[in-house]
Amino acid sequence: MLRIKNNEFVIPGQLIGSRIICDTNCFYENGKVYSAIQGIARVIGNRVIIIPSSGTYVPKEGDIVIGVVKNIMSRNWVIDINSPYTCILKGEEVARDPLNEDIRKYFVVGDIISGKISRVDEVNNSTISGPRKLENGIVIEVNPKRVPRVVGKKRSMLNLIKEKTKSRILVGQNGRIWINDGNIELTIMAIKRIEKEAQTKGLTDRIAKMLEENYNKN
Amino acid sequence: MKRNGKIRLIKDGKRLDGRKFDELRRIEMKVGVLKRATGSAYVEWGKNKVLAGVYGPRELHPKYLRDPTKALLRCIYNLAPFSVEERKRPGPDRRSIEISKVTTEALNSVVLVERYPNTAIDVFIEILQADAGTRCAGINAAALALADAGIPMRDLVTACAVGKVDGEIVLDLMKEEDNYGECDMPVAITPRKKEVVLLQMDGKLTRDEFKKAYELAIDGAMRICEIQKNALLSSINVDVKGV
Repeated sequence: MLRIKNNEFVIPGQLIGSRIICDTNCFYENGKVYSAIQGIARVIGNRVIIIPSSGTYVPKEGDIVIGVVKNIMSRNWVIDINSPYTCILKGEEVARDPLNEDIRKYFVVGDIISGKISRVDEVNNSTISGPRKLENGIVIEVNPKRVPRVVGKKRSMLNLIKEKTKSRILVGQNGRIWINDGNIELTIMAIKRIEKEAQTKGLTDRIAKMLEENYNKN
Repeated sequence: MKRNGKIRLIKDGKRLDGRKFDELRRIEMKVGVLKRATGSAYVEWGKNKVLAGVYGPRELHPKYLRDPTKALLRCIYNLAPFSVEERKRPGPDRRSIEISKVTTEALNSVVLVERYPNTAIDVFIEILQADAGTRCAGINAAALALADAGIPMRDLVTACAVGKVDGEIVLDLMKEEDNYGECDMPVAITPRKKEVVLLQMDGKLTRDEFKKAYELAIDGAMRICEIQKNALLSSINVDVKGV
């Protein structure tokens, strides 16, 4: 039985219901489901998802992330993915013979790369694969929990921004976004505004309006 | 006011600041006040001004403290040197260390630390102006900051102090009542199940007085919980006009 409505704001410890499926941001107690965080609850049939407004990034298999090379070990790189957990890029991903080569010719400390999280273990250490060095452009950081709103349903929000600013945008699930070409300033302004107003209604229209106004100015 | 060398704290059924025995001081709470913290809260309680900041989950250094089954929750309570009448020397003293310890234990019982192995969750409680009841205000602020940071918890934590002044059980002591009263008892509970996560007493109470004080504290805490919930609710109503 459901005790809350769709799009209701819930707080930690709030009763969601019983005989409900709720995956991540909840906990079970005596057969009942309670919210563990503050956020907006979305009800889809028998399932409830709680959308958090803040939190740190925990790597998940399949996520595209933007990382910064933080350390080089003998045949691996240690990548900072804006998370309290370690992420490794194995030498075998790019080098054919990582033991006998100087892997620094591929990536050095400070390089910005994008990649996909390929494996996450039980204490959240992860490995990244398919690395690509991101040169030029600018990387900004947003709250990782707001990234889905920046991308939008079926990438609608992201496509809207790309169309009006003509920028190349790569969104990392870990809250880092790479922007190159086009009207970079306008893109950053739009993304920062989405981050601030992520949980309000009518955001897509407001962003479209803002982009239209600034697009016509230039 | 002084009579036989003792300060009278209750006159004509009212306390020094005119409050009734079960009346709280003016409380205002706000979240999201520190831009660089993962979560934060600011509480004004009577003349108390308390700021709480939560950082994490983040990498835990030193490495030997890492626990692969859970996060390490660390709370540090600090009185700013300008927060009290006579300047307090900066740095932790025995009282601050004790309050840090009991606050950590209180919050540890609600935070779902198993969800973030090998990390640290740091909570900093800074008292900017002190006027009795700072540890309770600090716990309330810390609980709000943890919720603001998106850290999973079983419930919020609400704290309130009760005490005995001039033979009467009163709620939410102020500075004069704390200094010259007969007992001071801070209580912290989880509002959903009313489980006690902090209970300290400084003074003397009979068994019946304790029961009465405890009931009064729970009643006060439930009222404070409503203020906490409203603070969280208003954090999502963001101003959409400005850029």
